[in-house]
Amino acid sequence: MVRARGLAVLIVAAFVAFACGNAGGGTSSKGTIDIGSDLPTSGADASSGLPTQYGAAFAVSQAGTVKGFTLKFVPYDDAVNGKHDPTKGAQNLQQMLSDSKLLGMVGPFNSGVAAAEIPVANQAPLALISPSNTNECLTLAFDYCQKYAGYTAASLRPTGKNNYFRVAANDTFQGPAMADFAADTLGLKTIAVFDDQEPFGLGVANNFAKEFTKKGGTVVARQGFDTSSKPDFHAWLNKAKAAGAQGIYAGATSASYGCIARSQSQGIFDANSYYLGPDGIGDGQCIKDSGAMASDHMYATQGVADANSNTSAAATIAAYKKAHPSPDDTGAYTFAGYDCAAILIDAIGRAIDANGGNMPTRQQVIDQMAKTSNFAGLTGTYTLNDKGDPTTPALQVQQYKGGAWTTVKNIAVTV
Amino acid sequence: MAAMVQRLRASVISTPTASLINLVGLAIVAVALVATAQRVYQGGATYFFQTLGFGLAQGAIFALVALGYTMVYGIIELINFAHGDVFTLGAFISLALMPVFGLNEGRISGAALILPLLGLFVVTMLICALVNVGIERVAYRPLRHAPRLAPLITAIGMSALLEGVMNVWRGPFNLHYPDFLPSTQIPIGGGVTIAAKAVMVIVVAVVLMVSLTLFVNRSKLGKAMRATAQDRDAAQLMGIDINRTISATFFIGAALAGAAGIIYGLYYNSVQAFDGFQYGLYAFTAAVFGGIGNIPGAALGGILIGVIYSISDGYFTVSWTQVLVFAILIFVLVFRPTGLLGMRVPEK
Repeated sequence: MVRARGLAVLIVAAFVAFACGNAGGGTSSKGTIDIGSDLPTSGADASSGLPTQYGAAFAVSQAGTVKGFTLKFVPYDDAVNGKHDPTKGAQNLQQMLSDSKLLGMVGPFNSGVAAAEIPVANQAPLALISPSNTNECLTLAFDYCQKYAGYTAASLRPTGKNNYFRVAANDTFQGPAMADFAADTLGLKTIAVFDDQEPFGLGVANNFAKEFTKKGGTVVARQGFDTSSKPDFHAWLNKAKAAGAQGIYAGATSASYGCIARSQSQGIFDANSYYLGPDGIGDGQCIKDSGAMASDHMYATQGVADANSNTSAAATIAAYKKAHPSPDDTGAYTFAGYDCAAILIDAIGRAIDANGGNMPTRQQVIDQMAKTSNFAGLTGTYTLNDKGDPTTPALQVQQYKGGAWTTVKNIAVTV
Repeated sequence: MAAMVQRLRASVISTPTASLINLVGLAIVAVALVATAQRVYQGGATYFFQTLGFGLAQGAIFALVALGYTMVYGIIELINFAHGDVFTLGAFISLALMPVFGLNEGRISGAALILPLLGLFVVTMLICALVNVGIERVAYRPLRHAPRLAPLITAIGMSALLEGVMNVWRGPFNLHYPDFLPSTQIPIGGGVTIAAKAVMVIVVAVVLMVSLTLFVNRSKLGKAMRATAQDRDAAQLMGIDINRTISATFFIGAALAGAAGIIYGLYYNSVQAFDGFQYGLYAFTAAVFGGIGNIPGAALGGILIGVIYSISDGYFTVSWTQVLVFAILIFVLVFRPTGLLGMRVPEK
């Protein structure tokens, strides 16, 4: 008797759930689904983190609902004292995990933060999708990962299953892309390379140096700087100049003083000497820091394609720029942030369908994320592979020209 | 105290093991000097003078900050951790005051700069000095007879407070500091050049240091400061106003830190709320290096650290520079526990 009554309750419950599922398209909401984000949105890193957050928030507000659930954007800031902080990122993630309605997170921005967050999210589990993480060791296994990055893709995933995705091209592309550009397009023969001793900076600098040497160029000076406080680059820059460097490759970000070296090279290098770097220096802070040495001989790669070259993205970009008119609100990863949120919402939608119109579990969202295929975003069409990487990442080389970072070359690669 | 140290050293040096350590020490120094000399010779004169110029400029800034540390330590035996942040405050205040003096980057240059810059120096130094006197009045004077650790903690607190204020005021970004100094190279004979910027920084710093030394050695207030440093109670019995003398010490130290802040800004063209922490650390090291409490010692220590820094960066590798600086510090302190020129601290 008891069992029969239990069965009846179940049937009624299933019927109610089914009815609600049907009503999903109507006015009443089935509940709220939270989309988290973890980006450095205060301090020195905010110049790139905040525009990315705006992009993700815009995607969430444009979608509004997914399969009858109301979407809510919950942004977190992982900057401490103005700099991205892995520990703070992991704390933010713990807070997000305590929110049962939160089904996925956009971010983090920095590879170093990702290394701290992926293991936590992996055990929860929670889907992470980063617009800008480029360190190759986050997703791929190389024998140098443990030594240089201090982790491997496997060590970041204690459960052995993947929960981490990204849309940016990894550093195995960003460093070499600039090396090819320097050797082939700019015709440089000798270059000095420094890095900020962080996983990201060291990674791009090493990959740049490797490819530049392969192209027949010479790395005349190679140095890592402790960027926990502002270094004095003068003596090293002078050494690089004396060694015959035609330019500098900065494996660093604006927050790790990547362009302070440019400013300090005044009187040592010409303002028309080349200054190259990864996406980390391709922002407004870099130009402010460069001072009198800011010139059109500065180039930076970006780990995503230029959304402006995608004609079908024009309407969305225009709508975004109407909502965020300040030029500071649009950064290199704004539309990658938008795409990450859109991919996540798309996956949540499919997970809801797969779960019979009900609130899906976090694992179901991860499963659907992994099945993302030919998603038409603003910055490209994305298919995510089993490691979490886009199968056809794209990147661009930007030049600082006429007061803004301008795309001079789009590069498509196939994994 | 000093006599005791002398005796201690004499007894240490006379033992056979100590003389062996001395010999080993001398050998290490000789090897290091030969290795450096060889590299310097290979690098050529121009490269050497340029490297030296960078070192002297950075060292001059260390020295100016170190003077404030050493003066305060000399008089009340307090490591004023907030001093490095008063230095950064100097850069921040001068940045805010620039429009007042009509200092617009790109609009003003050459001889027209001299008067406004002079005004900027005076006003900034004055504000920094008053802030530091205020810090002393609020955070250190009430604790003058408290256990030694108490004012040390309030000093750390003041440091955090100043950094926080600057952080809230201008944000934690790197701020661009206008570039007024010429970027030309000055020929010093034989095809060797040195950056004009570095020369200016060194000249201003040396002028400030020499005037401080003259002030402390010749003026009445300087005499009062030396007397207070030597024996506070006896000085008070002689009719010296201790509070006023200590305030004056904080005033002068901070004025120099404020000037150092402007020089730092003009030289590096970039300033950030937390820059003072690292500079404070190096300046404090410089003060210990030269003999804490000793004014010429702090100047010498600062300049030496700057030069070691640039020689290491320029001829060896940047990665080992900090290790080298502190290794040399330990080395010097092992053989000269009172620093290069000897400590000058209150007699106990």
